[in-house]
Amino acid sequence: MSDQVIQQKAEENVFLCLKHLEKIYPNGEKAVHDFSLDISKEEFIVIVGPSGCGKSTMLRMIAGLEDITSGDIYLEGELLNYKPSKDRKMAIVFQSYALYPQMNVFDNIAFPLTINKYPMPVRCGELFFWGEIQRKLAQDADAVCKALREEAESRKSKRARAEKFALRCGISAEAANLLLELYRECGGTETGADWKEKIAEKVEAGKRELAEKGAAADEEYYLVDENGKHLIENRKLTAFEIKQRVFETAEKLDLVPYLDKLPRELSGGQMQRVALGRAIIKNVPIFMMDEPLSNLDAKLRLTMRSEIVKLHHKIGATTIYVTHDQTEAMTMATRIVVMSRGFIQQIGTPKEIYNDPANIFVAQFIGSPSMNVFEAQYEKDGIINLGGMKICGGEKLRQIHDEFYKNASKEFEAMLENFDGAAQEKLLQILSCTGESKKFGKVGVKKEKGLKKLFSLFKKQPAENVADKQAEIVREKCGQLARYTNSDHKVLLGIRPERVLIEKCEEGKDYTGRSVVMPTVCELLGGEYNIHFDFCGQDVVANFDAKQTISVNDRIAVSFLPEDIFLFDPVTGKRFF
Amino acid sequence: MTKKRRRTKSERIRRREKIISFICLFVICVIWSIPLLYMLGSSFKSDIDLQLHPEKLFPSSWDEWTLKHYTGFLVRDGKIDKMPIWMLNSLWSTAACILVTVLFDLITAYALVFLKFKGRNGIIKFLFLWMAVPGVIGTAPGFVIFSQIRNALQMNETATYLYIYFWLIVPSGTGIFNMLLMRNFFLSIPPDIVDSAKSDGAGHRVIFRRIVCPLARSTLLLIVLFTFTGSWNNLVWPQLLLSGEDSYWQTVTVALTGYTGGSGWGQVGVSMATGVFSLIPIIIVFVITQNKMIDGIASTGLKG
Repeated sequence: MSDQVIQQKAEENVFLCLKHLEKIYPNGEKAVHDFSLDISKEEFIVIVGPSGCGKSTMLRMIAGLEDITSGDIYLEGELLNYKPSKDRKMAIVFQSYALYPQMNVFDNIAFPLTINKYPMPVRCGELFFWGEIQRKLAQDADAVCKALREEAESRKSKRARAEKFALRCGISAEAANLLLELYRECGGTETGADWKEKIAEKVEAGKRELAEKGAAADEEYYLVDENGKHLIENRKLTAFEIKQRVFETAEKLDLVPYLDKLPRELSGGQMQRVALGRAIIKNVPIFMMDEPLSNLDAKLRLTMRSEIVKLHHKIGATTIYVTHDQTEAMTMATRIVVMSRGFIQQIGTPKEIYNDPANIFVAQFIGSPSMNVFEAQYEKDGIINLGGMKICGGEKLRQIHDEFYKNASKEFEAMLENFDGAAQEKLLQILSCTGESKKFGKVGVKKEKGLKKLFSLFKKQPAENVADKQAEIVREKCGQLARYTNSDHKVLLGIRPERVLIEKCEEGKDYTGRSVVMPTVCELLGGEYNIHFDFCGQDVVANFDAKQTISVNDRIAVSFLPEDIFLFDPVTGKRFF
Repeated sequence: MTKKRRRTKSERIRRREKIISFICLFVICVIWSIPLLYMLGSSFKSDIDLQLHPEKLFPSSWDEWTLKHYTGFLVRDGKIDKMPIWMLNSLWSTAACILVTVLFDLITAYALVFLKFKGRNGIIKFLFLWMAVPGVIGTAPGFVIFSQIRNALQMNETATYLYIYFWLIVPSGTGIFNMLLMRNFFLSIPPDIVDSAKSDGAGHRVIFRRIVCPLARSTLLLIVLFTFTGSWNNLVWPQLLLSGEDSYWQTVTVALTGYTGGSGWGQVGVSMATGVFSLIPIIIVFVITQNKMIDGIASTGLKG
């Protein structure tokens, strides 16, 4: 297969396609830079990042609650940019749950159903309801007769009576109304099967009428076309249908006992479930959740986490989930998108993200406790010197290192040569993962108003200043990279806490080749310890199995394997080994 | 014997603050209620007592209590008195005024808070600025427009009556203060709720009718109360429009000024009684609205 065909195939599979999305707020703040992501059906995408990294903005843009500055959103090939959020076939669950405070749980869940039209099979007018009554009578005639006798005598308004009757017999309110009227016409007594015959008559009449029109219907009296398929119309749901659906959803979420309570009477977890129910009942292909668990307590969060995953398996809706909690991201996602300062840092499965982080930011953000990062010295011929401890990477490391720096400095030179908008973006991305970018958060020219506008005319253009400063940084970095290519230099060495090998020192044993230190803090988590100790002038965390007890008075021998370390370039933040 | 615990410093300060504020409020309360009490008391005084003891709040002795001034309000000399008619005028114009104000305020505030359009901030600033302009300034130009149109139209009696009341009702619906009150309330509605409604498929009409308005109930009642008292007590503008017209057209406040004409002390009792009578609707509205205003935003469906 040629590349083109493969790409085409891939595009067919894409369900929701985000292309180069960008967001600049009116105050000039750029919240999202060039966000591109293809999401296939039934995926569970988790967007994760520290607060203020633009992840919620991203979600709101997809949902249509926020304008898109540039870029496109496609849903199954259809451009979504200019559609209002109500037409986007998406459901969103907010961090604050956003339940309507004045409505009870039932109304909250039913709200989307009451205002939208839904594609439903076309019914054959009255015939449909007569059919429904007939079926019900065939099923349980005694109960219907009893209810009919009682309700017909009750002194309520016509509508209230029909509703009560409908609820008792489990038929729709329209059918109940028809039946009650018929019952009245027949004298309001049950003597003889008079009214039952009338129903049969009505059904026959309805059928004849249908035949005259030349239409066809199935046995439940939905209109069908010549292929036996239901005809579909867009209409509002009836109260009965809404009730049915709400109860169905409430059962799924164990909310039935709370249906007539107000949101303020519910606990956090219940409110959360109501919010989920409101999303589920819309029956849409895309779910979006904006930190839905962050208001719950730790234990509830754990159960809700698995509930949501279960729900996702059950419903199979594509889910986009925003969180700042890396544990949630790791446990729930089929794919994780790590963001920082509006840039995508890495996209991948949880395993990829964890084992193969693209840069220092991802490495440190994912994993708990987070990765230990040391400043080490790279020496020629692929040797890493970490405070006297030498790790030999050999010829392979040397090759990779040389290659990486050659490419990197070339890239920077190219940027410097032609320092335009694209280069600026690139620099910002690099700064976003090394964590130096605070100074240049604002890219666009800030719009001044009123008197300030007048003053700003006399001032130097601040935008130019920023560009100059940025160019300066690029120049500096470029110089650094060039120096690094051929000489010993600083690198960042990372190692996961669980990969640090620790052994409790015993008397009379030889620990040459390993550093022997004293732990500063030993946190017992139950199954294991988090041990903090000073190493190369830095606090290091390591995991240690709790089978052995360990305390701050013990001495430990520390070492790690060369294949467990990650090497990052301090200039660009990227991982090269 | 247990020694009484000495209060801590913060407790003492709090206590002192409470006492001071209580005294201040009490003094203000007394000052405000004296005229009301005087009116109430005077309305029960007999004519002689009114002349002999005008300085007393209530009738000087038990014998002097009388309900004489209250008789004959509804029917006098076999035909319907003017008082019920005045009340009716006041009532329907006030009701219309409330309706117009509430409608205008709700819609304007909704637009200013939830719709994004160009010049929104400009409009808000202008409205704030407009609040600083005293309402009296509009009186003269308003009256000129009113009378010019009236002269030009040459209306019959009923039409004139309606025309005058149109001018009483509609301009008062344009008050900025109530609108800003509403706007502030709308700003306090968590934006998530509106966003969520939007993504649930609600248009602005649905959001307005089913989400925002039910939430605004307490503020709405506050506005109803304000508008009711404002419109019921309004004097200057109605007097301007109604002076020289049929006395049956007057509102209660305008009619009450008729008693200040200085045509002898004999009328004092009746005027006080009328005053008490005209206060009844305000008291009723206040009693209805005030306890409902309390359960307001306390019932938000948000965790936080």
